[in-house]
Amino acid sequence: MFTKDRLITSLFLLLSLVLVGHFVYFCIGWNVFVSLSDWKGLAPSYNIVGFDQYLRLFHDPVFLTSLKNNLILILLFVPGTLFLGLFLAILLDLKVRGEGVFRGIYLLPFALSFVVTATLWAWMYNLKIGVINTLLGKTGLEFLKSGWITDPNIALYCVVLALIWQFAGYTMLIFLAGIRSIPESQIRAAEVDGASGFNLYRRVVIPQLKAPALSAFVVLMVFALKAFDFIFVLTDGGPGYRTYVLALMMFRWTFSKNEFAYGAAIATILFLLALVIVVPYLYLSFRREKE
Amino acid sequence: MVSVTIKDLTKQYGTCVAVKDLNLEIKDGEFFVFLGPSGCGKSTTLLCIAGLVKPDKGEVWLGNELVTSPERDIYMTPQKREVAMVFQDYALYPHMTVFKNVAFPLEVRGEDKGEIMERVKATAELLGISQLLDRKPGQLSGGQRQRVALARAMVRKPKVFLLDEPLANLDAKLRVKTRIELKKLQQKLGVTTIYVTHDQVEAMTMADRIMVQKDGVTEQIGTPDELYNHPSNLFVAGFIGSPEMNFIDCTLIEEGNRLWLDAKEFKIPVPAKIVPELKSYIGEDLTMGIRPEDLYERESVKGITQKNALRMTADIIEPVGPYLLLHLSKGRCPLVARVKETTARIGQEVDIEMDLSKIHMFDKKTTEAII
Amino acid sequence: MRSPKPRRVILYILLVFSVFLFLLPLWACITTSFKTVKDLIYTTPVEPPLSPTVAPLITAFNIMVRPLLNSFTFTVAAMILSCLLGSINGYILTKIKFRGSNIVFLFFTIGIFIPYQAVLVPLVLTMSKLGLYNQIGGLILAHTAYGIPITTLLFRNFYGLIPDSVIMAAKTDGAGTWTIYRRIVLPLSLLPFVVAAVFQFTSIWNDFLFGVVLARGSEVQPASVALANLKGTTEFQWNVQMAGTLWYALPVLVIYLILAKYLIRGYMAGAVKG
Repeated sequence: MFTKDRLITSLFLLLSLVLVGHFVYFCIGWNVFVSLSDWKGLAPSYNIVGFDQYLRLFHDPVFLTSLKNNLILILLFVPGTLFLGLFLAILLDLKVRGEGVFRGIYLLPFALSFVVTATLWAWMYNLKIGVINTLLGKTGLEFLKSGWITDPNIALYCVVLALIWQFAGYTMLIFLAGIRSIPESQIRAAEVDGASGFNLYRRVVIPQLKAPALSAFVVLMVFALKAFDFIFVLTDGGPGYRTYVLALMMFRWTFSKNEFAYGAAIATILFLLALVIVVPYLYLSFRREKE
Repeated sequence: MVSVTIKDLTKQYGTCVAVKDLNLEIKDGEFFVFLGPSGCGKSTTLLCIAGLVKPDKGEVWLGNELVTSPERDIYMTPQKREVAMVFQDYALYPHMTVFKNVAFPLEVRGEDKGEIMERVKATAELLGISQLLDRKPGQLSGGQRQRVALARAMVRKPKVFLLDEPLANLDAKLRVKTRIELKKLQQKLGVTTIYVTHDQVEAMTMADRIMVQKDGVTEQIGTPDELYNHPSNLFVAGFIGSPEMNFIDCTLIEEGNRLWLDAKEFKIPVPAKIVPELKSYIGEDLTMGIRPEDLYERESVKGITQKNALRMTADIIEPVGPYLLLHLSKGRCPLVARVKETTARIGQEVDIEMDLSKIHMFDKKTTEAII
Repeated sequence: MRSPKPRRVILYILLVFSVFLFLLPLWACITTSFKTVKDLIYTTPVEPPLSPTVAPLITAFNIMVRPLLNSFTFTVAAMILSCLLGSINGYILTKIKFRGSNIVFLFFTIGIFIPYQAVLVPLVLTMSKLGLYNQIGGLILAHTAYGIPITTLLFRNFYGLIPDSVIMAAKTDGAGTWTIYRRIVLPLSLLPFVVAAVFQFTSIWNDFLFGVVLARGSEVQPASVALANLKGTTEFQWNVQMAGTLWYALPVLVIYLILAKYLIRGYMAGAVKG
């Protein structure tokens, strides 16, 4: 039995369900469908050719390079951000005066658009008059000067470093909240038991940060998989394909080369990789909520 | 004002059975209390009457109107049942003033402004909260909030009042005071009232009739007097009354042409009056119950145990003001006696007499009362 | 006065050094924005300009003003729409018991985590079918739809804190589902609305991906895309580039300065940067 009241509310829910249903679920399905076709060029073609695009991917050196770069990104960026965030969180937990100000400054980069931070870092890494090279010159560290993002050997690491800079504030925030949720009495008890300083953190605090670490881990992993804007603006994948990642390749092949089916296949792979990370996490958190 | 009738009401949450096959008829204008230990059952029944929870099966009737029946696919929304409810946490709308809170039920029913003003003012007057009308709930004390919640429930003159532990969040003194006021108010308005509580004193002092519920099952329905003097099973006997009834496990034996209750530490003769009821239980395990006020201390005569008296050791003497509680024991059998005064000393022996006309007998296996 | 312990000194040195590292890019951006081409060569990026000028800011503003207005329009519209829908969803998911509510919640939650690359091609196709490609409306629709999952989560978390008894009281008082939302839940939602609005504003404002695939190079292109173009076309005019960056970052910086507290609550609620 539906009252008028109930009807209005239901219609709003229905609107949300339709929007999310189409733009998330139906579009994902549609994308998979496109990936199975041979659509190339501006006019859509839904001539189904099966897994041809996927087979092609695994012989494509650009795809393999991108996949490798995503992997390097995950291996360096994720732990790097977690550790720096934890380090900053612990520093701020040591009863620092002006904690709020420090916290606000460390978190600031995370609030900014990737386009902004990428432009900033382009200026930082600029070869001739960029921030880093000029500062190195002024401080007599001339020999450390480098092309940074234009140097094929270190470009990817420069990207990782800048991303750690942007995300460290976020992991700091998550860890700090985790630390603060440990009851004060427990810290006191540990202090009475003789734990202090480094030991207190290693033995009592850090072991209790599993839950915040896990949620930050998932966020960072998913980001490292789908990283796009920052790299697009900062290096556009260069030099060569040294900083190419899957999301960038997907964009270029789809929207610059009009290889729609091929791009859709890359997107599908990205989606599946994200599922591998997210599904177990959602499963865990739903189970926890039920308890 | 209407009667409330409940037939075969059952509600289950997962594996927890909140109410099972409840049958109940609450009379028009009655003050009826659901009493039981904390748990899901009592409130669930109340929510089913309000229409806030749909039962799995059974019927709810308000007067002659069937308002809930899953079998017949009948369900009237809470908005349409003319019942009002007061919640344990008062559930005031935090963003509205007291006036707005009380006016809310009238406003959503589309009453006109003048009428609303008049009725809110009258209700506020009745409950003594006129001076609070401009405040927000956050600025009120617990007692004041409780009154606002009552006012909001009363203002639209409902047919039935549902009160879910409305005094549980008040301090002890205020609770006693409000108890009396609430009872008076109910008598004055004559509204059928269903009141949920886990506090047996509240139930005993306010109710016309009480239903004792445990784990969703009805243990007994009756007036406060019936529950106190004729509990129908061990649970009700133990739950009603403070301090609790004494229970003594014993076996009924026949010795020398008389019936005895053998409690190992002592034997008690069965009074002639109840022999017929007990006769069929010879040789069986029973539980005897006796209330603390039915135990008397007797001046002991040195060396000689008086007839019918038990010689026990006084463990603790607890002064409670108007009377004393003697915690006694004999071997493994503990007893509590409520006396006006005592000569007993801690650790010393004292002779205790039972008023055998007041004993209760229960079948140990079924826990049902025999007499 | 007690002299501070050496350990505390090291702590503060570490903290201040970190502040230097975290602010360096932004600081260099601000100083550079006020420099003439000459100053760009004769001063280091961390030094203030010798002869401050607003010329780069004006040049950049002229390039960016239209995209900034575009961004502002669709950001505010999509922010309001996604917050409203999220609020209603949150209310329904917490306060109305219905079968399958957990599934509906999961349905929304998964939407938070999907990489948008997986929907890009169909998204563009949908928008061109609707005639919303290269239109503000397309950007509003996309940002609203993809904003619903996170706003739903945010509001659901907050509404979980409103006691069920308040809703039940309103029901027995005679209010229906929509009346309860409008008269009880919505007036109690100021905090979640601020949190969700701040979060949505910054996310949508900061977005690049949807802007670049739905409105690149068009009249309605967002500021993020315009800035990326500016970077490509002003290779050696770092002062103009930085000035453009500053203009684009300004709204978020202002919000961050005033409302960081609420933004942080959004981040804490398991919100994920797209």
